[in-house]
Formats: sequence, C-alpha cells, structure tokens
Amino acid sequence: MKRYTQIEDASRPASDVSPWKSAGTLDLACVGYGLIVVAAVLVSYVLGVFEWLPYDPEHISFGLLNAPPGSAGHLLGTDFLGRDILSRLIVATQAYFLPGLVAIAISLVAGTVLGALAGYRGGGVEVLVTYFNNLVDSFPRLVLILLVIAVFRVDIYYIMIIVGVTGVPVVASLVAGKIAFLRQKHFIEAAHVLGLPAHVIVLKHILWHHCAPLLVIRATIGMGEVILIETSLSYLGFGVQEPTPSWGNMVQAGANYFFQGKFWPSTAPALAILFTILGFHLLGDGLNGILEDRSGK
Amino acid sequence: MKLSALKPVALVLSRELALTALLLLGVSLVVFVILFLAPGDPFSVLLEGQMPSHEARAGVREALGIPTTWYGQYFAWLGNLLRGNFGTSIRTGLPVFGEIVRVGASTLYLTLGSMLVTLLIAVPIALHASVRGATPFNRPFTLLAYVVSALPVFWLGYVAIYLVSRQLGVFPLVSQASAPTERAWLYSLLPICVLGLGNGTVSEVVRYLREELSRVMAEDYIRTARAKGASVWRHAFREGLLIPMTEIVASKIPFILGGAVIVEQVFNWPGMGRMAWQAAQDRDFPAIMGIAMVAATLVRTGSLLQRVVYVAVNPRASQQRRGGGWAE
Amino acid sequence: MKKHLVVGLSLLSVVVGTPPVSPAGPKNDGRPDGGTLGYGEYGRPSTLDPITSNEMVSLRITELVFNGLVGIDAKQEIVPELAERWEASKDGRGYTFYLRKDVVWHARDGEEARPFTADDVVFTYKIMMHPKTTTPLKVRYEFIESVEKLTDHAVQFTLKRPILNALAKFSFKVIPKHGPANPIYLTREDPFVRQPIGTGPFVVKTITSDREVVLVANENYFKGRPHINRFISKPFADQNIMTQALMFNAIDMVVLVNPRDLPELQGDKRFVLQPYNALSYAFFGYNLRNSLLADKRVRQALAYAVNRQEVLDSFFNGQGTLVSGPFAPGSWAYNLDVRPLAFDPQKATALLRQAGFAPGPDGTLQKDGKKLALSLKVPIEKESEAVKRVVLAFQNYLKNIGVAIKVEFKEWQAWKESVFLEHDFDIIFASWVFDDSADISSLFHSAEIGAWKNNFGAYSNPEVDGLIVESKLTLDHEKRRTINRKLHAILAEEAPYTFLWTLTNYSGYHKKVRRVAIHPYKFFSFADEWFIPVADQK
Repeated sequence: MKRYTQIEDASRPASDVSPWKSAGTLDLACVGYGLIVVAAVLVSYVLGVFEWLPYDPEHISFGLLNAPPGSAGHLLGTDFLGRDILSRLIVATQAYFLPGLVAIAISLVAGTVLGALAGYRGGGVEVLVTYFNNLVDSFPRLVLILLVIAVFRVDIYYIMIIVGVTGVPVVASLVAGKIAFLRQKHFIEAAHVLGLPAHVIVLKHILWHHCAPLLVIRATIGMGEVILIETSLSYLGFGVQEPTPSWGNMVQAGANYFFQGKFWPSTAPALAILFTILGFHLLGDGLNGILEDRSGK
Repeated sequence: MKLSALKPVALVLSRELALTALLLLGVSLVVFVILFLAPGDPFSVLLEGQMPSHEARAGVREALGIPTTWYGQYFAWLGNLLRGNFGTSIRTGLPVFGEIVRVGASTLYLTLGSMLVTLLIAVPIALHASVRGATPFNRPFTLLAYVVSALPVFWLGYVAIYLVSRQLGVFPLVSQASAPTERAWLYSLLPICVLGLGNGTVSEVVRYLREELSRVMAEDYIRTARAKGASVWRHAFREGLLIPMTEIVASKIPFILGGAVIVEQVFNWPGMGRMAWQAAQDRDFPAIMGIAMVAATLVRTGSLLQRVVYVAVNPRASQQRRGGGWAE
Repeated sequence: MKKHLVVGLSLLSVVVGTPPVSPAGPKNDGRPDGGTLGYGEYGRPSTLDPITSNEMVSLRITELVFNGLVGIDAKQEIVPELAERWEASKDGRGYTFYLRKDVVWHARDGEEARPFTADDVVFTYKIMMHPKTTTPLKVRYEFIESVEKLTDHAVQFTLKRPILNALAKFSFKVIPKHGPANPIYLTREDPFVRQPIGTGPFVVKTITSDREVVLVANENYFKGRPHINRFISKPFADQNIMTQALMFNAIDMVVLVNPRDLPELQGDKRFVLQPYNALSYAFFGYNLRNSLLADKRVRQALAYAVNRQEVLDSFFNGQGTLVSGPFAPGSWAYNLDVRPLAFDPQKATALLRQAGFAPGPDGTLQKDGKKLALSLKVPIEKESEAVKRVVLAFQNYLKNIGVAIKVEFKEWQAWKESVFLEHDFDIIFASWVFDDSADISSLFHSAEIGAWKNNFGAYSNPEVDGLIVESKLTLDHEKRRTINRKLHAILAEEAPYTFLWTLTNYSGYHKKVRRVAIHPYKFFSFADEWFIPVADQK
C-alpha cells in the first residue's frame, strides 16, 4: 500500500550514481518539449475563445464528408459531417479546460488538506486519511464513473467530480510523504524551535517552498488523465456530447470509418492526444529530474 | 528462523484482513449512498415500452419486494451481500452475483494476462535502464513505453484489429457458444496484448521499477558488497525488483480493470466490463452496484496479496513498516 | 349463443381454408438440412420470452421460438398459424379460433413434449394481462373483454367493442401453461424468461453469460423441421466490429447493417444485402405549448428550411423515402397524394416574416424582442452517429434562416421524463415504430395530452379529434381509408411534426445462406425455410 509517484522520489536521499547521467540535457529537452505542448494547448484555447479559426468548426458541408487532409483547403481534412478537423481540434481544448480545472482543483485542494493534516498531525488523523485513500483507491475509476452515470446522468461535470475525488489520494500521499521527509530532516522541529506558528510552517514553508512544484507537475499529469478518461467515455458514448467537440468524441466519431480505410478522422485527434499527454508526462519527468538534482546537490 | 518468520506474517495477515473487511464495508456504503442519491425511479426500466403509471410502478415494487426506507434498503442489501446475494438484475431478472462470477473469470483472465504483458515489456526496459543508465539503446524503448501509455486504448484496439484481420485474414472474435478452435487462444492473445500495452500503466511501471532498482543498487551496503566482489543480485532482486513489482501491480489493478471495460467492448470480450457498460446503459442499478463491489473486492484482494508477499519476502519489515503508511 | 359469420380474408375477420396438416418431420422440399447460422446483434437480449421482453434483439429471438394464433405474412396479410381457422361473430365482438391439433411444445430436458391446447391460449392471455406481470403489451390488449375455452382445440375471445383489423392483434405469441414457474404472473425473475419453451421452429438450447443464445432446430415443428440446424445469436457492443466480424467470416449475418457500412458490403461479392422496410418514420416534433411554435407558419417554415433529401442522400446513402404525414409509410392508411414539402428556404423566410419575425442584431430572428431560439432535445442512443448527423444538420439549416437551435443530448430515461412528463422541450427528434396498426389516435388526439401520453406536443384540433374518433368507430374499410387520407392531409398541412423519412433497413449475410425472406419488423418469421447448401455447411 505504499505509494509510488515520481514526485515522492524527491524525498529520498539523492545519490551520486544517478541512472540518468546525462540528466541535464535530457531533462531540459523533456521540459522544453513539455512547455511547447503546454504553450500550444494554451494558444489553442485562446484561438478557440476568440474564434480565430481557419473554418467555422460547426459548419457542415454535405459534399465533403471524411475528406482527407489537404482537400479543399482543410489542412487536416474533414469529419463525418464535413466539418473542418483542425478547427475542431483547436476548439476542443475548451471542452477540457473548465471540467479539467474542476477535477484538478478537487484533487489538489482536498489532497493537500488531507495530506497536510495527516503528515503534520499524524496519529488518528493519519489513520483516517489513510482509510479514505485506500477506500477511494479500491474503485476502478471507470467503474465508479459508470456507476455514477447509471445512477445520475451523463454530465461531464459529474464525471469530473469523480475524476477529481479519485485523484485525491495521490496528492494526499505526496504531500504527506514530503512532510514526513522534512520531519526526518528535522526541518519542522527547527521551525518550531524558531517559534513559527503551525499554519505558517505548513502553508509557507512546507507547502509553498517544498510542495508547490510537485503540485504543478501533478496538475499537468492530472490534465492528461482527464483527456484520456474523456476519450474512453466518448467511446462508451458517455463523453462530451456533440456539437461540442472534444478530442475524445472526435477520435470516436472518426473511428467509425477506420475499417473503411479512412484513418485520418480518428488518427488526427488521437495524435493530438498522444503528443499532448506525452508532453505533460515528459514535463513532469523533466522537472522532477531537475528538482531531484538540485535537492541532491 | 522459520517460526519467528511465521509469527509476524500471521500477525500482519490478520491485521490486513481486518483492514480489508473494514474497507469493503466502506465501499458498500459509498456504493449505496450513490444509489440513494439517485433521482427518478430505476424500476420504470422494467416497463420500458409503455409509459408506466404510478400504480404499475408500485405493483412492480411489490413484486420485487423492495423496502421503502433508506436504511431498510441498505441493511437489506448489505445482509444480502454477505450471503452472496447481490440482488437481481433489473434488465435480465438474473441473480447479479451469479452473473458476475460467470463473466468475472474471463475478466480476470484478461487482466492477469495483460499485467503479465505489461511486466514483460516494462521489466526489461527498467532493468536495462537502471543497470546501464540511459543509453541510446534503451532510451527509444522508454519513449515507446510512454507513447503507448498516452494513446486512447480503444483506438489502439482498432489499429490492432485492422492489422491482424487484414494481415491474417481472420477476425479475432472470442465466442463462448461456438466450439473452440485451435486458434481460440490466439484470438484471446490480441485483446490481452492491447490491454497490456494500452492500459496507460506501462510508463509508470517502467519509471517506478527503474527508480526502485537504481535506489537499491545505490544503497551503501550494496556498493560495499559489490566493491568486495560479493554477489548482490539476491538482495537487489528482492528489494529492487520483486517487491516494487508486486507493489505496482497491486496498485495498478484498478487501472487495468478500468481499461478492461474498454477493451472488452472493442473485442466483444465476454466480461465484467461489458456487463458494467450494459448496466450503465440500462440504469440497471443492482448489476452495476454488484460490479463495483466485486471490482473493489478484487482490488483489495490484490493489495492483501501484495502485503503477504511483502512480509513473506521480508519478515523484518512487518515491524518497521506498518501497512498503509507512506512514510519511508 | 351468438351467430357466427364467416367473412372474407384480407381484412375483416376471416376464414381461409385449412392448411394441409403435415405430420411433423422433415420438410421434404428437396432442400438440404444442416449447417449453423451465427448472426450478429447490436446489443444483448434482455429476456427470451415474448411477454417480458421489450427490445428488438429479444423480439427477433422470440420469433424463432414461438408462434401466434395467427401470423402476418410478408404482404401484411393474416395467415393461419397455431389456429387453423377462425370465425367472427356478426356483431364483431366474438372471435373463435380453432387450433391445430398437431402442435407440441418443445420438450424440456428429461420430459415428454406436451401437446398445445386451448388452455395455453387462455393462460397466455391471462398472464399477460395480470397487473404484476412485467410487460409492455398490456395496453395493446385492453380491447379484449374476456377469453373462454370452448373445447381443447377451440377458444373464444370477446371484445369490449368491435374494432377494425382486430385479427392482426391475435398474432401475439402463445406461451405454454406449464412454462412459467409462477402460473399467476410473469416477471423477469421467472426462470422461464431465460429458458423458454415454445412451439416454434427453433428450441432455446443454451444462453451464455455473455448472452450468446444457441438455438437448435425443432424436429417436431408443425410446419416441418427447419432446414438450418443451429442459430447462434451473438451480441456485439460495437457496430464497427460487428461489420468486421461479418467481413472476416466470424459471423454469417448481421440483422441490421449500419448505413455507413453499406458501401463496403455492397462491393463484396461474398455477401448479400437484403432490404426490408420497417413501419417507422423519423420526425421532428414540436411543443405547441411554446407560443413561438403554436404559430403554424413557424412550424411550416422550419419544415421548408430543411433539405431532407440532401440529408437522406448524404448520411444514409439515399436508402430511404421521404414521408409527408403521420401514418406508417407503406400502410394502407398512408396518403400518397400528399407530397413531402420541398426544400425552399425563401418560402421559409417569407413565412417567418408573415409571422412577424425580423432579423435581430446577431442575425437571429426575433419578434417583439423575443428571439426565435429553440431547444432540441435528443435521447442518447447506443449507436448515435446517425442521430448526431441529422440533428446537427437540422441545426445548421435553421441557422441559415436565422433560427437558433440549441441541441441537448439527454440520457434516455431523463429524455423521456422531460418530454413525456415535464414537457420541458421545444423540439424533439425521434421515430415512431408502428406495428400492424394504422392508428394514430394516441399521437394527435387532444384527449392524449398529459403526463406520459403520446401527444407530447399538445397538438389540439377539434377537426382532427373528430376525424380520429370517426375513423376508430367505423367498421367500413373504405370509409376509414377516406377519413385517414383526410387526416393525413390536414396533419401534413398543420405540421405538428416535421415528417422526415422512413429508412430502408438492410440485412447483410453470407451468400451461402439461401432462400432468405425477411419479415419487415419481426425479421425471422420465415427462417424455417432458409437453408445452407451442403457444400457450405462445413
């Protein structure tokens, strides 16, 4: 029941026999790629909001269904309703933005609070938090989502609440682990000796100085999870609903034509998902590597 | 040695069993609360096709013998659960538990198989990376592990089916009713591989194993032992590979079960995931509740087994590392 | 004792001659027996009996396992099945059915096959109408007042009042008295619904946990043993995969091919695509409680603005026919003289102008400061691509004339509640599926406005009410036809719906399966005649 997140690794004594000897450049490359992806996603979001798009993403052309890339000026082709795929890919970032933020906010806020409580207070609180974590972790996320869908209705926000809640344990253990590490280093006792009040120690010294970067990394990875979950749900018919585009419902709609040899309508959004999630993960990895190095030196 | 090793194992086991029971109680409460908050009336599904009047609904309720208060329903349900009675599917009228047991085996086969695939891919990459560091040889593999983890699993399934059916001219369809052919096990290999690759855990498994191995290899006494020329593989294997492997596998069960929902759908695999989807479609509450319970039980059983392995491999640890903590 | 009257065939109660009573056994028609047919279904069957089941997958299986007193043939005519002849009383309220004497129920394991008698018919009716029975059929048989066994092989039904075309309703499937464990009422918990026995050409052998159903030939079938040995119904969760399974011979037949896969199968010589028409049509239905839509001109304008033929051609490969009115297309009540409205956006705009709408600052039409913005509620279906295409195209067309449509997809149950209970919608997209009747009274009569009633749009027109009642009461077929033609014309003009189209369904199957005839909505009615040549039986 031990948790293993890459972030936790920062809490272990760094060694000089690092497996990533070339960590410097490689980590930088990862972080660079990740930042490009984040920037691209943000730019897409802005473009979508201001509707600076090559085409109207909801315009249907009957004569141009599932057109290949490049036809009639559609850079990435058209979908099953003859709508421009590129424009829809750009607009689709909006579908993830707010719901994703909801999910991540739930995970981060609840996780941090629980983790800080458990790590700082210990004792009964820790036992309770551990129980909660194990309870939440007992459910496969998708099964829990299907349960909620069966019971309530298909709504992306309901789903994101589940994604958020199921993301709490990772964050909680991350924060608690960090505090345990700091305690081990007599950091907290030192702060006590200096006469700092508890909330200052927790908020400023522990969370702000030591956990903030880790939480940022966790947030990016959380965004990746949101995208993949939504894609799976779209396949099951429970994702973001038309006419709102999401990468997930675009892959799903395009995949209907996959076996007829029309690969593009599903491959384009699938690649968008791939590059984005890869970016988020590499960003996390790279940052982590750099942080680990710094803490080691 | 033997005896002293056994005692902590038994101790830890009973502790873990109690914890598991407590957690499953919590699981049942969570499931029930979600159901209780449900709007509408699940029983109108029964009368699909005609607009049910209120009398008709009451009639159905009576026929099904459903208590009216929430705690009455919870305790009735919980009592039934303990007796292995998970209720009757609203859609099919069949006992849910029997249904789940019948389809659960094939889901278990799928998930265990795909875990094996995941490990077969991840362990060599992690081993190589931790022993040799990042080399031009293993780096592309590491990257590949990341790539497959970031692809939508159903799309990966479509690609696999497209390739296999076009290349081999056969369709990988698993059927329970048709007589098994020689190719049957081959057909089941495809969904297992797709789930093993695409359940989104390969990259994490690689990363975790790599780090654990590197950490163990870097421990002071290993370095000392190595310097002295003693064999360190036994220890490194146990601490750096076996234990982390059981840990990550146990903790990834929920993810793999979730992935199975999708893969079963794509490959028409007769398992729990398809049942869950069908239940969500039909708002078949008893069925989906039962599936959630069984899935959670599987997850907890996985954790339990992991603890047992951990303590068995490393009896001393039962004192130092009380289960459930995260502090190292 | 009432006087019985023998009436001529096609519509009114009937007697046709006694069919040759062939002793059960092989058909002796020179066609080979043997072979297995695996067919793909999208979705799983719920139950396998004809009473509690409520969806098409189950319905198709019950068609293989059970028989009705009468059958409906491919030309919509009534033919004898379990009843070899029948009589109607002069007042039209009494129907006497004389049953075949050579019919036996499927034998359960280790039991003797039992003969079919009048008791089974009485039992079926009683269990179907029991208040605790789970069934969607009850409302359809409320016109029957009582049933009585005359002899072991004769049974008499008395109707509450004479109705037209009553005979078709006696095509309900008969179940055995010794079938259900509970002889009083039938729920889905009864083992009978999973291991049913019937009189039909195929016997349910096994049902797997994944709802694959294996059916084997009934050696004692009263119309002669069916040619094909085994039918296997395989449920699929993904239509794309189902088509691929057919293409690569993992199954032999798909009962309903998705329109988007038709081109792929059309080009393949190994397969046959067979069309069959379902008695159904799709429509946009309007909520007349909304004052904007209460104006007939607005509803007509919406109809003119949509190029329905273009949608049909682009999204359904042109596999369908536009419809103009409320009756089941292809039924005798349908008025072919009323033409579907043409696509005419200018006319749509002109009508909206007449109704007092003018373009607002954002391009959306408005009247007295009220925008012409409507919500379109659509149920989420399992296979939703076609639905998505149609509603989004609708939205696009209406945007072109300045009408804003907000599309909302809702989960099925929630959709039904907001449409039929809360009436909280402006437009819906849906289809009506008809069975054997051309009765539209529940759709447009003003008495049908209310919670869980079918006139969800609150359409109310005294003239239509009058015609509906008149049509229901008349027993003269020609007169009824004239009334229905008039109703059709009025409702087409009044446009409470925008009537769209009826789609042609296609079944795709491997060409080794021969002599395939498909019943429009029951599908397998003639499956006992299908066969597979010996060389292809494997």
